[in-house]
Amino acid sequence: MRRLKERRIRLLLSVVAIAAGIAAIGSASFAATAGEVRVAIMGDCKGAFGFAYELDIGGAQTAFAQFAGGKPNDKKKPSAGMTGIKAGGKNVRIVGYGCGDDTPATALKETRRLMQQLKADVMVGPLSGDEAVAIANWAKPRPAKTVIIGTAGSQDPTLQIAPKNVFRYHGDGAQWNAGIGEIVYKKLGWRKAAIIMDDYSFGWTSGAGIIADFCAIGGQITKRVFPPLNTTDYSSYVRQLPPPGQVDGYFWVVGGTGTGPALKAYEQAYGPIKPEQHSGNLFLWFLTGKEDVAPRMIGVYVGGFGTAPGLKTKATDQYHAIVNKWYPGQPADDGFFYNYYQGTRALITGLNKSGGAVGANLQAALPRSISAPFELSDKGIVKLDANRQAVQDQWPVQIVKNAEGNPSVQLTGYVPNVDQSFGGLFTSKSPAPGRTQPPCVKKTLPWQGKIREVKNGVVTNNVIK
Amino acid sequence: MSAVATKTVVERVIGAGVLVLALLGPRVVSDFWMDTVLTQTFILGIGAASLIFLSAYGGMISLAQAGLMGISGYALGNMVSQGVPGGETKGLTLGWNPTVAVVVAILLTIGIGLLFGAVASRSFGIYFLMLTLTYSVIAFLFVSQVTQVGGFSPIAGVDRYTPGFVGDVVNDRQRLYYIALGVAIFVYILIRYLVRTPFGISLQGIRDEPTRMASLGYNVTLHRTLAFGIGGLVAALGGVLFAWWSGQLSPSNIGLQATIELLVIAVIGGLARIEGAWLGAFAFIWISNEVTNRIPSDGLPVIGGTFNTIIGFIFLAIVIVSPDGLMGLWDRVWGLALFRKPQQPAAEGTPAR
Repeated sequence: MRRLKERRIRLLLSVVAIAAGIAAIGSASFAATAGEVRVAIMGDCKGAFGFAYELDIGGAQTAFAQFAGGKPNDKKKPSAGMTGIKAGGKNVRIVGYGCGDDTPATALKETRRLMQQLKADVMVGPLSGDEAVAIANWAKPRPAKTVIIGTAGSQDPTLQIAPKNVFRYHGDGAQWNAGIGEIVYKKLGWRKAAIIMDDYSFGWTSGAGIIADFCAIGGQITKRVFPPLNTTDYSSYVRQLPPPGQVDGYFWVVGGTGTGPALKAYEQAYGPIKPEQHSGNLFLWFLTGKEDVAPRMIGVYVGGFGTAPGLKTKATDQYHAIVNKWYPGQPADDGFFYNYYQGTRALITGLNKSGGAVGANLQAALPRSISAPFELSDKGIVKLDANRQAVQDQWPVQIVKNAEGNPSVQLTGYVPNVDQSFGGLFTSKSPAPGRTQPPCVKKTLPWQGKIREVKNGVVTNNVIK
Repeated sequence: MSAVATKTVVERVIGAGVLVLALLGPRVVSDFWMDTVLTQTFILGIGAASLIFLSAYGGMISLAQAGLMGISGYALGNMVSQGVPGGETKGLTLGWNPTVAVVVAILLTIGIGLLFGAVASRSFGIYFLMLTLTYSVIAFLFVSQVTQVGGFSPIAGVDRYTPGFVGDVVNDRQRLYYIALGVAIFVYILIRYLVRTPFGISLQGIRDEPTRMASLGYNVTLHRTLAFGIGGLVAALGGVLFAWWSGQLSPSNIGLQATIELLVIAVIGGLARIEGAWLGAFAFIWISNEVTNRIPSDGLPVIGGTFNTIIGFIFLAIVIVSPDGLMGLWDRVWGLALFRKPQQPAAEGTPAR
């Protein structure tokens, strides 16, 4: 009996010791150091956009290196980290890299880990549309935390949700497609088109820009098809599209790893691709050099990504030199890289102005206008609107054959000062883009009839007719 | 005192100790641990408890429980969110009274659980497993494809609209901690009580010998269906709490990944004992957090992979070493300790213990 009593006591003591240990683990090791600013960079390391992980981090850290004294640990691998960052007189520590997979649930889990456990004051990110919707909703009741969207293009975070602590220094998915509808209407004579778009918020927002632009000038979208993100077999979705004789063209808004398979499924259903019958959003850029369908896309007009590859200005030369200095070999003209770079530049500017203070002070100090290498309007300055959303020049491109004979992108148009509202079509009271939103309506957009041709990287005075 | 009674006393002492620690939790651990680890442990433990209840006492391993949790959360989210400017942008945004919405969400989930059970209760073994998996997949496809109720984007703002007696769970996370703890204790007591009732005893009889019970006049199908309904109630409670804790719901909270995670939690904790639900949930969440913080995003050296690889290895180890999970390991260790205890010869005139 006495031995049993001793065992009971030992057991109890063990339980208490284990509990104390757990409590120690729980409360230890992630305490913030006074006087430092804690930053998290949130990208996708898995899923449809996992390939962009190093691009996201590379873009952000290039800005830290150039403007805040950061030293890369490995110039070939941005996720190896960076030290020595200082802004506003304070040390800036990158406390962690978020590993998303383009789903809201993982984005929220990573946000809690980075912002609550690792106590980040600021997040630069995320990458993907629905991640940004989730994080904007998370940030709304947490005003002490600041979010600078990395490259997510869903409309909701800065229009329908629009928390005061969420900023976006690049266009949304709709803005990126400004001008493409007008280009195919005028240059290719499209009047009726079908659109196939990924069934999630970025797909809807990107598609919304194409639909708004094409319908505004008089085009009609006769069919909308929605394959889920991460679909691998597109045959049933392609079969929902009208056959080539019934429409003048097809808009493709199918991304990540799905672009190539979707186009191949089209060829299996309707025969080889004819470039004059196809257009789409930035996802078509990623085909170039990677998919066997890419050579048959030469001549296709494609929406922009907020960057202007091949633009010949002093600002772009300086930008390329900066990227080459810190992370040589990184694709500076890639939107994932560039948008994170710009967002981090803004953060550094804000910290310098706030003296390293975070929270509401930082949010007040974050710039409402910032110079941008791929901006020509207002002498190269991107401004934020009242919802902290960038108003940005856009650059439709065309897939062409480069000097080596491989598919590449070339600037084809310049659309100045594109705002998120599309001239009042999208408002905070209008439903967020979706399967039926926006409707196809004729409207005058601010840039209609003002899109200028770009030849060999130089913006001409010729308006596209 | 017999060995079994001794073990029971020891377990009760441990349980009391854990309860005391849980009550003191917010004062002892960091905010992150309280909110993300412990509150989530209580909530996911409730979900796993619904699975373990069906498995341990009904002999039914149901893969529908994550789906039922999600249905409850989605129903709540669609009913309470309001779609005001600056607010929620997805879902039906019906703007109903939160108290009414909670009751309707729970009743709806119980109803769907009974319906699922009515169809599945005539199946056994692998067929039952696949049927319940289908339910979860159907629920996932429904919420992701019918964009009116959500779609791929998250339904947000669910935590902003709570019944008056629940209060503000957005800013007062300690409040939510204690609510989740209270519901977890309620679920535990409910299940422990139910399995001792005539219904519970006959359900266990059906688990062991369905044919014999049928020949004795018990309605096997009805018992199993009702058990599914009870499992639905427990899952519904977990789903409502999860919606308040997360504030947002998306299809991946209801899909195959969520289903597998709940199963892994139950297996790690132990499919045979209800306590395993919370033990498994704690282990799962703690490992997930530690792995994510300590392993590089490009994966483990040599073998690659991150959290899913680690949890996969742990799952394999548990299945091989202790198929009854961590609770089974405890039972086994206790059994070994008792087996090794030397038998003391009774002194003349001393009563036996």
